[in-house]
Amino acid sequence: MSDISEKPHGELWSREGFREDPYITAETLEEAGDAPAIILPLAVWLGLDEEVRNATNRKIGVSVAPGESIDPLLTLLDTIPVIALHFPAFNDGRSYSKAEMLKNQHQFKGELRAVGDVLIDQVAYMLRTGFDTLKVTHAVTLTRLADHNLHDTPVYYQPGRGSHTAPGTYSWRRVPAV
Amino acid sequence: MYRYDEFDHAFVSARVDQFKDQVERRLAGELTEDQFRPLRLMNGVYLQLHAYMLRVAIPYGTLSSRQMRKLAHIARHYDRGYGHFTTRQNLQYNWPALKDMPKVLDELASVEMHALQTSGNCIRNVTADHFAGAAADEVADPRPYAEILRQWSSMHPEFSYLPRKFKIAVTGAERDRAAIQVHDIGLHLKKNATGEIGFAVYVGGGQGRTPMVAKKIRDFLPVEDLLSYTTAIMRVYNLNGRRDNKYKARIKILVHETGTEELTRQVEAEFRVLKETDLKLPQKDVDAIDSYFAPPSLPVRPEGWSELAAARKADHAFSAWVDQNVTPHKNPDYGVVTISLKPIGGIPGDATDAQMDLVADIAEKFSQDEIRVSHEQNLVLPHVAIADLRIVYDLLLTDGLATANAGLITDIIACPGLDYCALANARSIPVAQRISERFGKPERQSDIGELKIKISGCINACGHHHVGHIGILGVEKKGEELYQISLGGSGDEICTIGDITGRGFSSEEIVDAVETIVDRYLEIRTDKEETFLTTYRRVGAAPFKDALYSEAANAA
Ligand code: HEM
Ligand code: SF4
Repeated sequence: MSDISEKPHGELWSREGFREDPYITAETLEEAGDAPAIILPLAVWLGLDEEVRNATNRKIGVSVAPGESIDPLLTLLDTIPVIALHFPAFNDGRSYSKAEMLKNQHQFKGELRAVGDVLIDQVAYMLRTGFDTLKVTHAVTLTRLADHNLHDTPVYYQPGRGSHTAPGTYSWRRVPAV
Repeated sequence: MYRYDEFDHAFVSARVDQFKDQVERRLAGELTEDQFRPLRLMNGVYLQLHAYMLRVAIPYGTLSSRQMRKLAHIARHYDRGYGHFTTRQNLQYNWPALKDMPKVLDELASVEMHALQTSGNCIRNVTADHFAGAAADEVADPRPYAEILRQWSSMHPEFSYLPRKFKIAVTGAERDRAAIQVHDIGLHLKKNATGEIGFAVYVGGGQGRTPMVAKKIRDFLPVEDLLSYTTAIMRVYNLNGRRDNKYKARIKILVHETGTEELTRQVEAEFRVLKETDLKLPQKDVDAIDSYFAPPSLPVRPEGWSELAAARKADHAFSAWVDQNVTPHKNPDYGVVTISLKPIGGIPGDATDAQMDLVADIAEKFSQDEIRVSHEQNLVLPHVAIADLRIVYDLLLTDGLATANAGLITDIIACPGLDYCALANARSIPVAQRISERFGKPERQSDIGELKIKISGCINACGHHHVGHIGILGVEKKGEELYQISLGGSGDEICTIGDITGRGFSSEEIVDAVETIVDRYLEIRTDKEETFLTTYRRVGAAPFKDALYSEAANAA
């Protein structure tokens, strides 16, 4: 995670397509040098002085591992430019709940990002729980996303905010009573 | 019955297309088996000893005749002429080819069926009382709620990568026929003092290697809170359930390690946040779904009772079948018929394509087009007029479907075991068949009375052995298949996990051991009314252990 020079270009995906990732990921502020946009681990981020965290000359985001609680961030959400939630393995689903809580329950307005084992078959779920961006490294996933083949269903049983924005709420409310 | 609207249709056909694509990618080598695994599991495709298997979801165990005919058709064309009804109220095909799977899924979709969420670490097919909407003792029909849960949980964005699979069961009567206390969440529909309907909520039951009876965390949850409360439970579990060890990943372990009180506190805290969101179910929502499950309008058929009396008098076998396999219906002119898939010496839960077609025909003519699958691996005709019992019996008789043993010692549940399953230690099916033959005589069975034998081929407990009155578990010791016996388990409203008797028995000994237990029961019961389970609860394990092990010791 700490190797800041290894990124290929344009691997940050959002509904608008791929773009360069303005952030670098670092273990400490020192390691980041004078980079203008940095993502730090949760513990390090929480340990920063408030002035440093809120400095206007650069953006400092936070990354959260599945086992870490988002509770300490909840009162600070207005000040966080990006929260990166980790998927160390595609089947570790804890970050979906955190995304849902951050975006829906706590109205986090900043960028919510998925990092780690991001596979095409999870993309729809990620978008639907509120992720704005995905950091993708898996080759097949890169190709599919580039083709805009999102592997999504045309409708959702739950209120949707997925790859399409079909209006609606829970499925049974759309069903006219017979 | 629930009917798909265009929404469900669009959803299911999109999922079939997705899966087609995934199968093609797998066959082309673009996906490794490891990557393909969670995807095929979400579509109900298992890789087993000999082949891929397909598990078809039968939501809350309810089928129409048309759907049953389709299942028969698939068995005939893509499998070897039969299917296996499981303890999850599902159907399992043991032999379809991977390349045919998308076609099979297309066939299923044409009758509003699918195999979604029958496996994988997601919320599985929701199960319910198989007598729902028919049984005389029902407070409210659990199926509308099971259907709402089905829709709410289908491809749930937050809960599709849980620590482990998640099973929800709903029952609407005091008599628990859905084994809700051995499910991850069990919901018991009931009325409170003022006559409102709500749920008692149980969490953290399960079988497997660490069997646990669920804890009640709410005595009465209003219907409008069903989804917000369930979401709260799921979220606490998704965030905190163990992911370091798959044997400790079920919610029962989280409940156990966190403590019921603390877990309840966490759930209630999350629930307070979710309560006033759009998860709330106003009565209007419930009514919309309820209307799909409106009770059929059943013609008045009072003539049945006198005809029945005469028919019973004339035919002892028919009379025994009525006693054993017909349960009281809400409507006094009707009965609920259990079709036993446990012929003496047969494979529990297997049905041939012809049998499925026959059941479909009978249901169409005599049971309002409805069929149920029970978790005891039998089929149910929920609405049969008493006046039609004789003809239904005669029709069932033509293809070996009239065995009069529902709830008796030969109505055995058995998992696929070593005959099909890659995880098995021992065979289950042949043991079930031998026990069935040993006790198959009608007089003998009926003298023994209610006795549930359940057999699993390994500790995963797919055959529910922990809640068998007599449970049998296949274990492996030094390369030999051994069978461990447990006694006194029960999956109904007084839920208990069976006690292991002691050392296991070889395949040759196991049927004798069961007979020893049964004989001891017959000796010590107070009278014929005292069932095996009641007797066991009165006397404990000691008399049975004595019989099992001192006799064995004497013989040695
Ligand atoms: C042959 C393929 C099968 C395999 C590989 C398999 C595998 C498993 C495993 C690994 C578990 C333990 C899960 C856990 O404790 O977390 C389990 C539990 C279970 N399976 Fe199966 N199973 C198979 C077939 C079946 C069938 C045919 C049925 C229905 C008759 C079934 C019903 C169940 C039930 C009811 C449980 C207990 C769930 C609980 O612990 O609460 N399984 N199965
Ligand atoms: S109990 Fe064991 S042997 Fe039987 S089906 Fe389940 S995993 Fe297989």
